[in-house]
Amino acid sequence: MKAAAPRRALRGAGLLFCACLGGVAWAGAPTTPYVPESAAVVLQHVPASTDPRVRRFQRVKNSFRQHPNDLGRALKLARAYVGYARSTGNARFLGRALGVVDPWMQQDPAPIRALLLHATILQSRHHFKAARNELRKILERDPENAQAWLTLATVAMVQGDYSLANDACVHLAAVGGNFMGIACTATLRSLTGRAEQAWRLFSLIKHPGPEAPDAIHAWIHGLMADTARRLGKVEAADAHYRKALQWTPGDNFLLAAYADFLLDQNRPEEVIELVREYTDSDTSFLRLVFAEAALGSPKAGRDIREMAARFAAMDRRHTHVYRREQARFVLYLLHDPERALRLAKKNWTVQRAPKDMRIFLAAALAAGKPAAAKPVLEVLAESHLQDPPVNRLARKVKAAPGESTALAEREGAQK
Amino acid sequence: MKFNRLCLAVAILGLGLAPVVATAHKESDSYLTLRTDPTNDHVLQGRWDIALRDLAFVLPIDANHNGGITWGEVKAHRGAIERYALSSLTIKGDGLTCATHPTGQKISHHTDGAYNVLFFKAVCDKVIPSKLTIVYGLFRDVDPYHRGIVTIHAKGETSGAVLGPHNAVTTLNIRDPNRWRQFKTFVMDGIWHIWTGMDHLLFIISLLLPAVLIRRRKDDGDNWPGGGLLAGGGGTMTMARARVHYYWAAVPTWWPAFIDVIKVISAFTLSHSVTVTLAVLGIVSVPSRLVESAIALSVIAAAANNLYPIVRQRVWLIAFAFGFVHGLGFASALSGLQLPPLSMAASLGGFNIGVELGQEAIVLGVMPIAFLLRYTRFYRVWVLRWGSLLIVLIASLWLFQRAFGIPVPGVGAILPG
Repeated sequence: MKAAAPRRALRGAGLLFCACLGGVAWAGAPTTPYVPESAAVVLQHVPASTDPRVRRFQRVKNSFRQHPNDLGRALKLARAYVGYARSTGNARFLGRALGVVDPWMQQDPAPIRALLLHATILQSRHHFKAARNELRKILERDPENAQAWLTLATVAMVQGDYSLANDACVHLAAVGGNFMGIACTATLRSLTGRAEQAWRLFSLIKHPGPEAPDAIHAWIHGLMADTARRLGKVEAADAHYRKALQWTPGDNFLLAAYADFLLDQNRPEEVIELVREYTDSDTSFLRLVFAEAALGSPKAGRDIREMAARFAAMDRRHTHVYRREQARFVLYLLHDPERALRLAKKNWTVQRAPKDMRIFLAAALAAGKPAAAKPVLEVLAESHLQDPPVNRLARKVKAAPGESTALAEREGAQK
Repeated sequence: MKFNRLCLAVAILGLGLAPVVATAHKESDSYLTLRTDPTNDHVLQGRWDIALRDLAFVLPIDANHNGGITWGEVKAHRGAIERYALSSLTIKGDGLTCATHPTGQKISHHTDGAYNVLFFKAVCDKVIPSKLTIVYGLFRDVDPYHRGIVTIHAKGETSGAVLGPHNAVTTLNIRDPNRWRQFKTFVMDGIWHIWTGMDHLLFIISLLLPAVLIRRRKDDGDNWPGGGLLAGGGGTMTMARARVHYYWAAVPTWWPAFIDVIKVISAFTLSHSVTVTLAVLGIVSVPSRLVESAIALSVIAAAANNLYPIVRQRVWLIAFAFGFVHGLGFASALSGLQLPPLSMAASLGGFNIGVELGQEAIVLGVMPIAFLLRYTRFYRVWVLRWGSLLIVLIASLWLFQRAFGIPVPGVGAILPG
């Protein structure tokens, strides 16, 4: 793959989503059915064939249709869908990718390549436990599968299982080369109280060379931005977020991460500027709503209602991928700390990254039940995570009177 | 540190190393609402909201590929959308599939975009559904994460389910069965079944036609030469002495003929009731191709018996024997029926009574005319001989078609289904 092609593709995506915003935006609850006034009314924007990624889908799809039993072609199509889902946040394409590989998952044993893609989809859907089990099965059959070690490390880090993550990083370094090994271990160190080391390690690999795809450049810059933020290097963090977004404009994950950083820095105007073209994405829209609320914008009320409707629609289908985001929304915009705490607790059973810790601690404090966040303090005591907002909240929880007294006393006794 | 080619392969999928890779849109959903119709107990009114972005993924709705779906494009694909959607949905009342008919098309907006609203009605013509079953298969192959969010409003109560590939079926008890009305429904269904089933009809008619005539030996003498000789090749008297000749004579009075007919019909009803019941209860299961072929064969046998009589006196035996096969055929209309025992008994009883009533009506229609015409050459030659021959021909085509699965041109016009 040449580096230029995906860059063009992602720029296309940016344009695509601009187009989406210009056309149809709908607030709140479902409307009653109606007959549009004219046949020319545009009702819905879908990926257009002007988007180079869509044209590529079509090519790969046609070649797969002609050879529906060819796993190689199926995987090519499924990967294109997964990539599109990740960069745009459009979850429908995850389901479509799953539909493509599903027939091979019925085989016994399923081909490793199909299993690997399946595990990646599970991970993207936050089915971390299931993803982990599948990855273990792959590694039993093929211990040299670098991709599987990398995905396992990712899942382990999200779940707060740092010893497994370390194990996976070591194996990855052995089978996947120095670059991946360093990226993996640096990410782990950044999460386990050794952000300084992580920063130095990332500095070693921050120029992956012209052959690396844009997404790799963006990925490393994103990790460096996050590490810089942990070390309090605000300007460096800002610069790395921007560089990352230059490599993959409109990347859904990076937009959310950078927007959160800007919100923490009390720069809501920049958040609105950053995500305004991407409000189709629920995570980007949530950041927009936070920024509007911070600015006291007149649009905030309406957009809060729309965000609530979007969460309600996910609840109806029993999708609970976004509990962390929902907990933040409920706590800071709906001002319902009890419910936010319930959501944060449930979220904690699925994922335990720093942002999960943060909302759990904040909701527990706001609900007047600091002791509820004890599981977070336990993880922090082991991982020694450096993360200013998390550390600040953890100190508050420890210092809180009432229910936390017993906890604080016990900790004091241990010292 | 340089990024090398080995890493490249790894990295393509490995972008998940960042802390969380959340996708940020809702996945694909459709919203299906079913409402019992207060004016017609057999009908459910349906509304089905399906996202245009999902439909556009499987159907070429964005005809000009410009990325914008207009109302004109949606309208133009109305038929395709309805066929695609309704073929993936099965609605059953008490286990029997209810036919769905699209009734309208509109647009609605949900949080993730514009939806095509497909209005339809589900007609459960055989039952007044007391238990509703929904089998959901929309986008099953293209998107296993798609979910159907189903809401059912019945008798002022609302219930719901979220259906997907691993959980495709939901069942709901929507009302207490009104057994008397259900019984009546099944009686009507039985009547229609016999009236619209060409093969059953021809079988019965084949058995009825000779009822107003009597087989006589030639040497019985008394009625000769009042009627045309049918059996043995039409009117020839030059047979060898050793062979016994038969001819058709008209019955002198109504009642003996009528009683014969009642015997035939009752024997038929008795045996087909047995197999209908056994088959619907799932005790007996015979492949439909075998049953349908055997039914065609029974029609050939019944009609051929009018041309070359083998069974002469006790025609009801033919009716009784082949009734078992016809019963298996009737049962196909009710296959899958699921009811509590009492309702099941009422329904099956009603259906069998309906079939019987339908037959009686045919008897009452055909018999008086046949009786009046019994002395005529027209009846004996044209109706009985050529009519039976025609029936043999038709049934032979059916047999060929059903046994070998080869459609014979023109047969479809004679036999529905």
